[in-house]
Amino acid sequence: MSQSLVKNNKLLIDVGSTYFKLSSVDKLEQHFRDFNKGILDDLMHKCGNTIDAFNKEDIHICSSANGGLTTLIVGITNTFSLKYATNIAFNSGINIIDTVLYQNIEEYSIPSDLIDVVIIVGGINSNGDIFSAQLFNYLAQLRYSNIVFVGNELDVPVVEKNIENVAVLPNIIDNRLHIVEDYLREYLTNLYQKDIEGKEDIKHLYDITSNQIFPTPYVVNKTLPLIDAKFSVVNPFILLDIGGATTDIHYSKDLVDDNIVTENEYDRLVFKKLGVYKSKQSLIFTAKSNEFVYELLMHLKVTENIFEEQSEKATKILMQLAIFLVLCKISHYKKTYINLKLLSINSIVLTGGITKVLTKEEIESIISFFYKKILNSEHNPVTVLDSNYDIWTLGAEGEELCQ
Amino acid sequence: MKVVTGVVGNDIHVVANRLIELSLNARGYEVFNLGVNTYLEEFFDAVVETGAEVLLISSLNGEAEGWSREVKLLKAKYKHLDNLIMMIGGNLVVGSANAEDIIPKYKNYGFDIVCHQVDLNTGLDLLESFIKDREVKDRDTKESNE
Ligand code: B12
Repeated sequence: MSQSLVKNNKLLIDVGSTYFKLSSVDKLEQHFRDFNKGILDDLMHKCGNTIDAFNKEDIHICSSANGGLTTLIVGITNTFSLKYATNIAFNSGINIIDTVLYQNIEEYSIPSDLIDVVIIVGGINSNGDIFSAQLFNYLAQLRYSNIVFVGNELDVPVVEKNIENVAVLPNIIDNRLHIVEDYLREYLTNLYQKDIEGKEDIKHLYDITSNQIFPTPYVVNKTLPLIDAKFSVVNPFILLDIGGATTDIHYSKDLVDDNIVTENEYDRLVFKKLGVYKSKQSLIFTAKSNEFVYELLMHLKVTENIFEEQSEKATKILMQLAIFLVLCKISHYKKTYINLKLLSINSIVLTGGITKVLTKEEIESIISFFYKKILNSEHNPVTVLDSNYDIWTLGAEGEELCQ
Repeated sequence: MKVVTGVVGNDIHVVANRLIELSLNARGYEVFNLGVNTYLEEFFDAVVETGAEVLLISSLNGEAEGWSREVKLLKAKYKHLDNLIMMIGGNLVVGSANAEDIIPKYKNYGFDIVCHQVDLNTGLDLLESFIKDREVKDRDTKESNE
């Protein structure tokens, strides 16, 4: 149980898009959110007694409820600038809405959404004269709240001259073409922090805690190295967090052939519109366009009418579909920015609401269907269910230890 | 002058790669060594990020030709690589063949300098004279334009 891991007199709270979870020495609670109420009201209404029993400094909160920040990245190559910035953004808990390859910038359509932060990157420090009018014209049409330049030093003057309010940080590509993560990561986590402070709803959570509120994925990612303290997880592994709005995947570095040399042992990847509640429609849409889904439905002994149903059974099927679709998405070479060596995985860890809905057998049946159908393999990684939310408990604990 | 180098494809023969880095450094080049097991896109991307003038690919295990056939198509997707000097060396065929057959073939694949089983120093001398020739040519065209 998670109890032993929670330090005495600490209360850990995770606020998600769909429900919140509370964990303390003597109990674990989980509640669906009531969207007619503010987060704090809702939380106090359902768990006021628990919360009142703790001092402000003993309450630690992480949240993914503000949906996270969105970013658009402009870089000059797929292998270095775009990949490095994508990696840092994901690991800081940021969602990427688009990446733009600078040489073709004029061919990209302009996203209509307001973007929280635009990241511009490209060139080692001795390679300048990369960015010019094409970039500035593109940015002039874009709506964004923040913009940061993490490219070559030589272009800093022209960038500063032409982009209003641009933040300039050290290059994320060093002179040996290796990644430099720290500055951009710190900048992005601070932005996230400011975003929380600016969001009325979440801001009120500071009424009950005197500790910093962190993004949930950031907390989980930072502390994955501790995971085997809790489970018999065999490296390399992937962790799937299938939530109400998004699906997060955290994976061991060994699973990618890559030229990114980072200090992290684990990376993160997000599928934004793959969730079983808030993004249910887009999940169904993705499912319908997957050629294997009908076979999968047959395997599960249901028809596609299940998509129209509102039942516990339908939720179960959606969750099973989500597992399948996520595995598909990370298995096809170059479809996403990274492709994982799924045949080398020894464990698949599942966390989030899914562990409360599906049994181990139901999950395993999907995983082995995936391996047989898509990868033609009998490979069968061990499935581990984090039914007590030990992972974010560990995560929150780890974060606290880091402070 | 900046040079990007590495061993193409799934090739893991690392000894030549280390020697190439050392020799290039000794001759005063700034070297970006991507090491063994490097794919074409990574080579071109490294050229773009570093602003390198030379791309020196090596291939030892027999994969050279398969990859070289892809070079023109991939390079065409990049907008600013027209002046890049492209060089390849190592074991460029499976089995044996003579240079008269190999060199035109690889030039046709898009390489400026082709060194099948050529010793490294000889190869790097070729690079140097190629660079000099080009400088002279560039100067001439500039002058005739003026
Ligand atoms: C050691 C070795 C291995 C080791 C490599 C260890 C390591 N991590 O480096 C191991 C055992 C792993 C290995 C595996 C294989 N090897 Co092997 N290997 C050799 C061997 C014996 C020596 C290579 C070496 O290090 N030489 C010393 C260096 C300094 O010399 P070099 O590599 O030739 O490089 C010089 C020149 O070629 C030149 N050069 C190289 N690149 C460039 C680039 C430019 C621009 C220029 C100018 C010059 C240049 O400069 C270097 C210095 O002068 C050669 C045979 C031989 N005697 O050359 C076979 C050889 C290269 N291997 C060969 C093969 C076929 C393989 C395998 C496919 C065998 C198999 N069936 O599994 C695998 C492939 C593995 C892989 N994925 O790449 C063949 C390649 C044949 C071909 N091209 O047609 C060779 C030639 C053996 C043979 N005669 O059949 N191999």
